[in-house]
Amino acid sequence: MNEHLKPVYLEEKLDEIRADGHQDYRSKAIPTWCPGCGYYSMTEGFTMALNRLGIEPENTVVVSGIGCASRFPFFVNTYGFHTLHGRTLPVATGIKQANDALTVVAVGGDGDAFAIGAGHIPHAARRNVDITYLVFDNGIYGLTKGQASPTSAVGFKTPTTPYDNCDQPLNPLMMLLSYRASWVGQAYAGRPHHLADMIAEAMAHRGFSYLHILSPCVTFDKTDMTYANLDVGVRDLPGDHDRTDLLAAMAQVEAKEAPALGVFFEEGRPTLGDAMIETIRRAGGQAA
Amino acid sequence: MKKNANDTDIQIAICGSAGDGTIAAGDILKRAMSLQGYKVIAFDLYPAEIRGFGKCISRIRISSGQTYSLKPQSDALVSLNDPHAIPHVVEVRDYGAVIYEDTPMARIPEGGHISAHVRPAQIPYGLGIRHISEQATGSARSRNIVVLGYMAGLLGMTRDVFHQTIGEKFKTKAPAVAEQNLKAFDAGYDLATRVFRLDTIEIKPPRHTKSGADAVMMTGNGAVVRGFLDAGIDNYFGYPITPATSIMERLTVEMPKTGGRVLQTEDEISAIAATIGAGYTGARTATATSGPGLALMAEMVGLGVMAEVPSVIVVSQRGGPSTGLPTKTEQSDLNMAVFGGAGDAQRIVLAPTNVEGCYKCAGKAFEIAEKFQTPVIVLLDLYLSNRYETVIPPKRNPFLRKPEKKIAVRNGNGAYKRFAATADHVSPRSVPGEPGLMHTVTGLEHNEMGRPSDLPEVHLAMSHKRHKKLKGALNLRGLTLCKRFGDEGEVDVGILGWGSTFGEILEAMYAAQSEGIRCSAMKVVMLSPLPIEQIAAFHDDCGEVLVPELNYEGQFAGLVSGELGRPVTRLSQVTGAPMRVEEILNEVRRLSGKQSPARKTKQQDTGDERALEAGLS
Repeated sequence: MNEHLKPVYLEEKLDEIRADGHQDYRSKAIPTWCPGCGYYSMTEGFTMALNRLGIEPENTVVVSGIGCASRFPFFVNTYGFHTLHGRTLPVATGIKQANDALTVVAVGGDGDAFAIGAGHIPHAARRNVDITYLVFDNGIYGLTKGQASPTSAVGFKTPTTPYDNCDQPLNPLMMLLSYRASWVGQAYAGRPHHLADMIAEAMAHRGFSYLHILSPCVTFDKTDMTYANLDVGVRDLPGDHDRTDLLAAMAQVEAKEAPALGVFFEEGRPTLGDAMIETIRRAGGQAA
Repeated sequence: MKKNANDTDIQIAICGSAGDGTIAAGDILKRAMSLQGYKVIAFDLYPAEIRGFGKCISRIRISSGQTYSLKPQSDALVSLNDPHAIPHVVEVRDYGAVIYEDTPMARIPEGGHISAHVRPAQIPYGLGIRHISEQATGSARSRNIVVLGYMAGLLGMTRDVFHQTIGEKFKTKAPAVAEQNLKAFDAGYDLATRVFRLDTIEIKPPRHTKSGADAVMMTGNGAVVRGFLDAGIDNYFGYPITPATSIMERLTVEMPKTGGRVLQTEDEISAIAATIGAGYTGARTATATSGPGLALMAEMVGLGVMAEVPSVIVVSQRGGPSTGLPTKTEQSDLNMAVFGGAGDAQRIVLAPTNVEGCYKCAGKAFEIAEKFQTPVIVLLDLYLSNRYETVIPPKRNPFLRKPEKKIAVRNGNGAYKRFAATADHVSPRSVPGEPGLMHTVTGLEHNEMGRPSDLPEVHLAMSHKRHKKLKGALNLRGLTLCKRFGDEGEVDVGILGWGSTFGEILEAMYAAQSEGIRCSAMKVVMLSPLPIEQIAAFHDDCGEVLVPELNYEGQFAGLVSGELGRPVTRLSQVTGAPMRVEEILNEVRRLSGKQSPARKTKQQDTGDERALEAGLS
């Protein structure tokens, strides 16, 4: 019998979810996102990843900026800092530098990350701050009701581009690879199990990990980054992709019309915390 | 200073072009004199360019008694560059010395040589500075040290201390460098012993020779660093900007020795963002900047206020607006420090008035920020950041190393309320890592749980909480919030001041008292919240209240008179230089009705107008 045709009993399913434990990472606040928003998958994927990695909620800090995606910390039961528009990474850097023992996850949308906050990304990447950066990319400004973002496609019609958007969209993954972020991957809200795996892998990486998450805005984008378009648009990375090969990774992200899902690039190198400890050692001090 | 017949009180100005070693010579002089137990106040002016033809001038006041600012007139001027030094000849008092190069390299047009500008009452000392340097060391590079030696010999200063200081100064360089400079110093010194001695400038042994060993020379920025270290700073984030950079440079060397961490961020926004991020984890964290940096930080300061996260921000003001005058002093960021940013974002602002105050305010700022869970701005200016004073470090660390935490305890039932209403409006705080007390802080208006809320009663209650809790800062112990000096009871003129200008204010006050004017002065260290009761009581006692400050319209005067609802007399000046004691004294004389004979014709002039005239002529 096909798995999908097996009857599901509500009580059994609830017991299964409770026993799993990942719901303990959810807060009691009800998300303010629209029904069908891709960000629900992120919340689910995030809690599953924390649960799987066995990270205690009190040792986790979620830092966000401003925008729909940035409301995320309120909906998870960890420490959270909802900061200013675009300032997610420097706040997260401060938290991580002050307390290495914490698991720090930065969360933001495409506007937060690549418009107002774009200047901070290269520095977090080059310092290899040991944090995970989840960017929820819906190609639009949802919280201010649907204006164009730096990742909106050419020709996209919005309240701020009434005669069609003529700006070339950024290629965030290409930027992150050229900044030499030490872990770069992409996931899609329409594939929640893969998304959860990717979040877990990004968090397990020691160093700056960047996960780009394609996520439809069901309210303001009916034409471009929709579930219907992305479902047929995304592809898996080729099975023989070498994630230590930076140029091969760049070749994969260059093909934007068919976004690939998976880990493009990964390398191990000293983190900001390692550099701090080395500096303290050279100065003859004792690291706390 | 209060006069005493046996006191040494001399001031020496060394003037040259960028690259002449002017500041280095001044540095050796002040260190040598401080080592002998004299009180030293020194301030250097230098251009924004590293090389080139900008003017450098180092003014050093050496005294045996306590002084509070530089003197308006120097006792000796040393010229390493005549075009730069000529305008400063008038600053040398009668019977004071002007020391200069008497064998120039090339023909000089009439009036181009400093000797043409020495007034009849001044005493000229010309010597072949370049020639002596070349003879002694084989190069002209030690001109600054030759002339330093000459001046030391002329004034009868002790040679050994200078040798020690020069050795110390060049100890990181090749041994030959120190050797060359010692030769240059001796060549100058020996020459001076063969010319007639200057008996108009007296160096007497310092009053308290005992303190000499304990006293250290420190700048305002150096004192901030000392205060941070003594208070146990864990993390520092900063971005280079004149005149605050030396704070970061010094901390970068010192903090790792005790396990501290310093990060140079990509801009000032990141610096304050990371400071607040680290503050959220409970760490003692600070950043330092100048006015343009504070402008970039304004939004984050508001977040710190809203999310109730402690942070310490040192701001050393310079001339503005915009990039302004990066290497000149001004007190024009008061409004921005007190009010800058969106919404009703009241914060705590401390403005020390001297180097010792920089130490206390910087160290104490952590306790205050933690106690009231808010950003604390410590407001300096270039004059205070860069000026040297001799200070005697405290025997015992005056700061609480362990934060006086008001940390939440886990309570069995009921959710943790990060912003719970309390009697003193400060809520028990938890930091990441503490189980069961998870919460999210936000820049959005929020309820006691920290959840976003725009209900009218919530916004009202939370605004009230954020404002009221800071009032507790007016009852702080262990830090002078404001203080009155001079005559007690009713006085003719009261001078109300803040920041670096208060040194000049005190000197002017003592001078006015010696002229028979009943005068007192009050310094205000806490600018927000303002200790308005004490200021009102002071105002009650004063026939007239004068507020001298270095900005265009009188920002502090505006703040005080607005809060008091009473008038004050403004003395505002923006020349990029510290205010002159004489300017304040003239205003005090005018307000008291006692005119100085020489000034009667120009009684309405403010310093600004005179400076403007000078600039236009």
